[in-house]
Amino acid sequence: MKNAALVVAILAAFGCVVVAALHGNPALLGGLAALSAAGIAVAAGAAAVALRAPDDLTEPRHMRGPSAPPPLPDDIMSRRGVFGRLWWLAFASFGLLAVVPLVALGRRPRRTGTAWSKGARLVTPQGTPLKADDLVVGAVETVFPEGKLASPESAVLLVRVETDKLRLPAERSDWTRDGNVAYSKVCTHAGCPVALYRKASHELYCPCHQSVFDVLGGAAPVSGPATRALPQLALDVDGDGYLIARGDFTDPVGPDEWWRTI
Amino acid sequence: MITRRIGRFFDERLGSDSWVRTAFAKIYPDHWSFYLGEFALYCFVLLVATGVWLTFVFDATEAGAFDSVVALGRTAPAGYFIRQVHHWSAVVFVAAIVVHMGRIFFTAAYRKPREINWVIGILMLMLASITGFTGYSLPDDALSGTGLRISDSVLLSIPFIGGWAAGVLNGGSYPGPLLIPHLYTFHVYYLPVAIAGLLSVHLALLVYQKHTQFVRDPAHVVGRRFWPDYALRTLAAFFATVAVVFVLGAFIEINAIEQYGRYHDYVITNPATPDWYAGWLDGALRLGPAIEWKIFGHPIPPVFWPGIVLPGLTFTLVVAWPWIDKLVTRRDVATDVLVPASAAPWRVGVGAALITAGIVLTLAASDDQQARTLHVKVTALVWLYRILFAFGSVGAGLIAALFARELRARYDERGQEAERVVALVRTAQGGFEEETPAAEPAAPL
Repeated sequence: MKNAALVVAILAAFGCVVVAALHGNPALLGGLAALSAAGIAVAAGAAAVALRAPDDLTEPRHMRGPSAPPPLPDDIMSRRGVFGRLWWLAFASFGLLAVVPLVALGRRPRRTGTAWSKGARLVTPQGTPLKADDLVVGAVETVFPEGKLASPESAVLLVRVETDKLRLPAERSDWTRDGNVAYSKVCTHAGCPVALYRKASHELYCPCHQSVFDVLGGAAPVSGPATRALPQLALDVDGDGYLIARGDFTDPVGPDEWWRTI
Repeated sequence: MITRRIGRFFDERLGSDSWVRTAFAKIYPDHWSFYLGEFALYCFVLLVATGVWLTFVFDATEAGAFDSVVALGRTAPAGYFIRQVHHWSAVVFVAAIVVHMGRIFFTAAYRKPREINWVIGILMLMLASITGFTGYSLPDDALSGTGLRISDSVLLSIPFIGGWAAGVLNGGSYPGPLLIPHLYTFHVYYLPVAIAGLLSVHLALLVYQKHTQFVRDPAHVVGRRFWPDYALRTLAAFFATVAVVFVLGAFIEINAIEQYGRYHDYVITNPATPDWYAGWLDGALRLGPAIEWKIFGHPIPPVFWPGIVLPGLTFTLVVAWPWIDKLVTRRDVATDVLVPASAAPWRVGVGAALITAGIVLTLAASDDQQARTLHVKVTALVWLYRILFAFGSVGAGLIAALFARELRARYDERGQEAERVVALVRTAQGGFEEETPAAEPAAPL
């Protein structure tokens, strides 16, 4: 048993090297390497089982503590010890200096808004500008501001819905064009791309933690852990008929943080 | 022959034969469950071996990371296999640590004098999880990039210092240009060096304090010699670990980043589920309530509670566990004898409740996939898992505690039976008589 396993281990190891040299199948290479290891494991196990050593050898245990150290020499024995309270205060204060390099690592720059600006055309990730009629009703497209493709936090989902179904707040009634409505694609919960659109229920769905947003009602959270609506991008159409932004988002994009006061 | 000569070389210079002989004769208690920690140890060995190789082919820049990993699968079969083994070792590593920790917990091996090693073990579990997370995030693929974005949001949610913490990790805004280099430094340097250091102390303490045992002989270590018994067994454990991880790496593809594609902050894979050991945190984020409080106008984002508070409390509880045990059992004496799990039903209950809570959260991390397969609403599953997390874990703990109490009662009966038989003595007249056994110290709980 033991010797057979060892022979298998040796042959498998050489086989593995041959497969690697011939640029063979990785599964075959890995399988042979595994077989080689398994052969040695089986041999070692068999050898261990075959040992005739007595089962219950014993060795005394010594209690490791508490120890009884020899008394301190007289000259370093003092009533208060070497380090008084002021010493410890000095050590602690010096330790507090660590704050300086930590703070010097810098903090994240405050978010000053996204790359969207007044008049920026909505373009696909490939850079194609979109007109109000390019999407059919029920379609959805990821868009960026023209010339600023893939700029962080600027991804927007453009959704085309039936105009009469929209239930946007009154002050946003002019933010859509021909049923084209645009929301930030960055989830307000944990920042994932809210990538899925359910046409039938007009809901945007985040694959990370299943937050659902109501497209017709201003992308307010319907279910899931998100607490805030996806910010809406106000749309317009330029002279050539292309969809453009009327400015940056008015609500902060992405998840909240302590220093962001809304 | 050659080993003997090498041995003589060192003995003449260091006097090594003497302590090698002592080390070889050292007695180790034996039980199958004592090998669980070894599986973790050997996974770490595999991780270092394959990881060193990977540093030579991985391009730790934002521009080159993804392509350098994909290229591994296209050129030689060995590179693909080594990366697969590296990832699988990490998966098995954390799993082995958790199971090993379960053994320590249920047999109460963490009690005085071994609290230090318990705390070191917990630290290693945390570091191993973080190392795994930084590792699977390195290829810059769509799945792990999403995980990084989530972790960025979670860091950001910490009151007051969140922006600083997230900024330091990313080197600025997300996704910062320094993110991959930062992750790489953590993954190949700070974290593994910390694990290796703690691991050395962990093992040195184990040898110095001597291993615990089930045999109720508090004055002796009862077991087998290192050489050859234990050496052969641990050799078998090493090669068995290697064989298992190699089989996984050869036949089950893990983290197929080529299919996920390169990461851009506007694309995502669906489904999006992390490696298993991060699942409980992802599940917690899914189950967390949609509540956002404001303190003096500053928001406390919803991810703060499941993402920071929950793991913080969990690890505090686990690290403090030996001292909680001390408060409950009112025992403060050093012991080397393990208890069978059922000896302390309350401990079994707490352990079962924690495990159940962890499993529920982990299951919740794939609730969308379950909803699709079972044709139910995700929201229904979310509520089911919330209820199971709060009440199911308590219920499971109670059932486990009652079960343990029943087991203990049976053990006690059988134990008394056995003692009665042992206590028969021969009288001077040649007959047999039962002797009242001397009061043994009660089995430590």
